[in-house]
Amino acid sequence: MNTFNDIKELISSLKREEKLISEMFGKRKSLDYKYSYALELVDFDEDRINFLIERSVVRENGGLLEMDDQYLEFFEQVLDVNEEINLSYIDENIRNIEGNIDYFLNENNENRKQGYLKFIKKTFRKIGVITLRSVVDLRRNIENTFKNEPNYKNKQLKLENLDEKRNLVKNLIKQTLDLINEEQHTFFKTSLDEELNRIIIDLKYQLGECAHNLIEIEKQIINYLNQIKHHGRFLERLRKLKYLKDHFTIGSETDIKQVLATRNQVIFERRAGEPLNLSLDFLREEEKAFEAIKRVATKHLNRKLFKPILADIISAELLEDNIEEEVMVNLEELRNHFLPTSDNLFNFILNYDFQKKVDFDERVTIFCQIVSIYELDLVIENTYQMMNGVEYAIVYPK
Amino acid sequence: MTKYTSEIFEVLRRGQFICSNSPDDHMQTLYRVLEDEDVFADLYEYFSKINYVLEQGNEYFYFSRTEKNVDLERKLDKAFGWIDILDFFKTFDSSFDVGFRFTPSEIVNQLKNNADLKSKLDSFKKINVDKRNYSERIKKIIEKLERDNFIVLESEMSETYKVLTSFNYLKDLITIVNIPEEIENEIPE
Repeated sequence: MNTFNDIKELISSLKREEKLISEMFGKRKSLDYKYSYALELVDFDEDRINFLIERSVVRENGGLLEMDDQYLEFFEQVLDVNEEINLSYIDENIRNIEGNIDYFLNENNENRKQGYLKFIKKTFRKIGVITLRSVVDLRRNIENTFKNEPNYKNKQLKLENLDEKRNLVKNLIKQTLDLINEEQHTFFKTSLDEELNRIIIDLKYQLGECAHNLIEIEKQIINYLNQIKHHGRFLERLRKLKYLKDHFTIGSETDIKQVLATRNQVIFERRAGEPLNLSLDFLREEEKAFEAIKRVATKHLNRKLFKPILADIISAELLEDNIEEEVMVNLEELRNHFLPTSDNLFNFILNYDFQKKVDFDERVTIFCQIVSIYELDLVIENTYQMMNGVEYAIVYPK
Repeated sequence: MTKYTSEIFEVLRRGQFICSNSPDDHMQTLYRVLEDEDVFADLYEYFSKINYVLEQGNEYFYFSRTEKNVDLERKLDKAFGWIDILDFFKTFDSSFDVGFRFTPSEIVNQLKNNADLKSKLDSFKKINVDKRNYSERIKKIIEKLERDNFIVLESEMSETYKVLTSFNYLKDLITIVNIPEEIENEIPE
């Protein structure tokens, strides 16, 4: 594998492929960056891409290009956009320091002592920076995960993982402080190095800041996890209620009826219109009301008036009284006239003067009427006589 | 007594909510007025005389009654409608919650690639009469929520709706219904 000969070559070749590298870095999340896209960015000069591949800046895999992990990690860390929080560095550094302190204490040669001390100072400085960066990364990642992760279960898992990392950072900070304050007390007393003291003070300050941030992050994570749990529970419940509702068992199997029975919010009520009558005094006295009436009246102007269809006048003739006379036989009077006589009824009626002309058939009818109406005043004999083909009973007054 | 009394009454007695995140400035003012504890206490007393109970929820105010106001059937009907609609919107976007913004066209668009959402839309019987097209149906559903004052049209130009804090009322209602454990276990995942 070819490597760059020196830093100058590295930087100048990165500078030359600036376009390609920044494009690939921008698209590092999408899995397929095609070789052909890359060609466009290097003015279709395959050699330029091959140069990068040879030096392991990018890798080729079946027509796809990807940036080498080493570079990717470097860019991400330097640009503060890394998603992975690697805590092994800190852990390793702490162990390195411990080792070097031992070497320092055992060493008598002043020069070599200074060498160890230099390493220790460098590492302390590094610990401070890395810890602070991890905390910042942690915070950013938590926010991103909470806001952008669409899968609820994964969101929860990722946040829980980040929470574990937070615990790790917390432990590492404690370990570092223990190292400074307790475990290597002799070393810090004996080294008497001005710069080391300053570095330690800075480090303590940085770690203090980290600790404060971690407390805040912890609160945030707990809050987010609670929100997710609450939200998840809510969705679950909604889905269950919907299921029961769709199977028509919600009423019998849950307490929804009781819950609703106790809720008397106005939102459940039907919104009835409430017509109010206008105040008569207002209509009569207010200028505004008069304006309104006039305005409304104009709308009614072109409305067709409803005319009822009238019938013709009834002529006066039809209303005049008409007298029609009809002579009726007064059966009552006829009986009264008959009762004092000793004649038989048929004979009496036959000879009675009715003051109008009454023929034989009518007289027979009158006979029948008298007999049926005034039966109680008459005696009907069992003897019969005949006249004009009509057989009649002999009837006398009582 | 505050000068907003009649305005507050007008809004609340129609079954509407006064929400803290309403885009309407006037509503915001009413909310702030009610937030004052003294004003709230005064108005509570005042409205209770005409049988309205002024109540405060999570970031919203509303009216209820001291006595049973509607028959249970109507309440159930209304609650069932909410469950359906809520389920529909949660299928559209599980983060549908207070402060969420959406446009009807976003929902229509999602119908193309979300069969679940589509089948849920198809199961709204009352809305699907007259062979309406999807966007009309979705407008109907949105209208229902808007009428009950859980969402509001925030921008007429872009047709953006916003979920109001009164949505918490619906959420509370869903959370408070208790499903016995043995029933809960019978419901498939």
